[in-house]
Amino acid sequence: MRILLIEDDEKVARAVSTGLEAERFAVDWVSDGPEGLDTARLGTYDLLILDLMLPGLSGTELLKRLRKVNSDVPILILTARDAMSEKVANFEAGADDYLTKPFAFAELVVRVNALLRRGATKRANVIRIADLEIDRIHHQVQRNGTGIKLTSKEYSLLEYLALNAGRVLSRSMIVDHVWDQSFDGLTNIVDVYVRQLRSKIDEPFKQQLIHTVRGTGYYIGEQEL
Amino acid sequence: MNSRSISFRLVVWHAAISLLVCVGFGLYTYFGLSYFLQLAQTDTLQRRAHEVAAILEAHMGHEGEPYTIELIRTSYAPENNDRFIRIRRPDGSLLYVSGRPTDGAFDPAAVPLLTVPPAADPSRSITLGNLLLVQSSAVVNGRLFLLDCGESKLSNAQVLRGFLVMLGFGVPVFLLVVVAGGAVLVRQALKPVRQIIDAAKAITSSNLGQRLPVADTADEIEHLSVVLNEMIGRLEAALQHSQRFSADASHELRTPLTIMRVELESISQEPVMDTATREKIASILEETDRMGKMVEGLLAISRLDTGEAVVNVSRFDLSILVAATAEQIALLADEKHINVRCNAAGTVEVTGDRFRLQQVIVNLLDNAIKYSPTGGEILLNTRTTDREAVLEVIDSGPGIPPEALPHVFERFFRADSVRTHSVNGTGLGLSIVRSICLAHGGTVEAANLPAGGCRITVCLPLPPPTRAVAGRPQGF
Repeated sequence: MRILLIEDDEKVARAVSTGLEAERFAVDWVSDGPEGLDTARLGTYDLLILDLMLPGLSGTELLKRLRKVNSDVPILILTARDAMSEKVANFEAGADDYLTKPFAFAELVVRVNALLRRGATKRANVIRIADLEIDRIHHQVQRNGTGIKLTSKEYSLLEYLALNAGRVLSRSMIVDHVWDQSFDGLTNIVDVYVRQLRSKIDEPFKQQLIHTVRGTGYYIGEQEL
Repeated sequence: MNSRSISFRLVVWHAAISLLVCVGFGLYTYFGLSYFLQLAQTDTLQRRAHEVAAILEAHMGHEGEPYTIELIRTSYAPENNDRFIRIRRPDGSLLYVSGRPTDGAFDPAAVPLLTVPPAADPSRSITLGNLLLVQSSAVVNGRLFLLDCGESKLSNAQVLRGFLVMLGFGVPVFLLVVVAGGAVLVRQALKPVRQIIDAAKAITSSNLGQRLPVADTADEIEHLSVVLNEMIGRLEAALQHSQRFSADASHELRTPLTIMRVELESISQEPVMDTATREKIASILEETDRMGKMVEGLLAISRLDTGEAVVNVSRFDLSILVAATAEQIALLADEKHINVRCNAAGTVEVTGDRFRLQQVIVNLLDNAIKYSPTGGEILLNTRTTDREAVLEVIDSGPGIPPEALPHVFERFFRADSVRTHSVNGTGLGLSIVRSICLAHGGTVEAANLPAGGCRITVCLPLPPPTRAVAGRPQGF
């Protein structure tokens, strides 16, 4: 998968591309608007990551011009500006997703994956991780053949972790996804719910599936990362 | 009326000066009147003295003393007219003296015999008690007769008394009119000042865009309001500047924070690392996270303060939102065995940004859970008064120290400074609550309850009454 990164801040660009390369993406980086537009037009990229404040040509303008010639490539906006009006304007101009700085790298990876997956394979209705089974249609969970009763919040949390199995999710991502942004002020809510979820999913069984990455977040998976 | 107000003092001064002027003018006219009355009387007396002298000179020689005296008596009737006439012969013996006046102002026999040198100023009058006396002389056949003409001063005194009585009645009435008129004028003149005061009181940091009314009068008042308006303008600019600074700074901090985060995350992914280093990296990551949250919080506050952050305004039932929000974080309370109870007094409709108002509930509830002891209770009351929608969050914690009460909504304020703050705390939760409430035209207050615990009350303006609600809230 080839990703074009258009970002004028060198350090951000280097950090993002190093990280994405570690995730086995091929990343090309350009640092200004006009060059970014040309590269995006010529190359065949699976995804564009675009900063809004660019020298030469603003990200929004680049977005509009690019959408005239290439309507398919998913575009993820990466910016320090998060005013609602600006978000709306960029979505209207053709952005597919929006990520506000400062972001957790894990979140960027999740969003990149989500964009690359979008519209492609339909995700399975039953997710299996080791002996854990999650039925997404009936919202039923069982492990080792035993049914486990979860509250709706616990289920949402588990499903979100499972959909991104093997990938670290930050507390903010979990709050935004399972609750909504207005709950962002109380991040320890995630810890409390994860603890509760563990007591139902992990503790009665031998193998631990939900893991903590200190300072970063949580993930679900068979192996330790 | 406030005894120190300008209008009160102006009216008092005005009254005092008016009184002084009245008394002064009264005294001036009184003494003036008295002087001119005496002057006129002296004048009359002198003319009379000349007439008597003329009668003496014309008749004494031919008709003899008795006839002349009779003539003078009948001509002047001194007793009836309260006059005094005395004629002395050249040898000093009395030729004639008038009898007692009817008003009894003086005793003719007791009037001293003044010797007047011939060269005496004939215009001079002498006052002897109630008698005004003028001296003159007549020369009959070469003999000098001394003449004393006088008149009772009582009639003049009566005029002066009448004048005083008139002043006594007139001055208070006049003063009353002047003071009342002055009070009305002062009120009228200070009315624009009161308007300025009222308008200035209504201007707070949330509506600095408003200006004072400027009366187009080209006077000091207009000047004052113009100058005050300029000052408010500078305040507004300064506030905007500081808000803009806060917003800009938050923006600018985002990029370096991103770099720190991403770099730290990539370091923490390194497979070869000892546990101590991994711990340190994790700790730095946590702090980076907290700093990021603070930056977001500050940005949110500055956005709210400039009114940019209230966007998706809809009309919904606050009671339902409170119950739903409490439900969503129930586990947080459960962990501490805290019982959260929602008491909704029916539907409590509000108009506002649902996301932001949910943030208010979340932050207040989080705060209440933090401060309530294990096994405590939290009450969430919602109700509608005739003017406001009210949300009360009552916890069973230790309450807020009284000296800290006025500051709990300030940024980064912590009620007890030694408290070991949790990793997630940013110190901005309650300030965000306040900014959201203000942005919705509402208020938020904190109070300690006598029975212990603390109560935070949010008041939001009621939505305008509508028959057909256009935008029903989505969800719920």
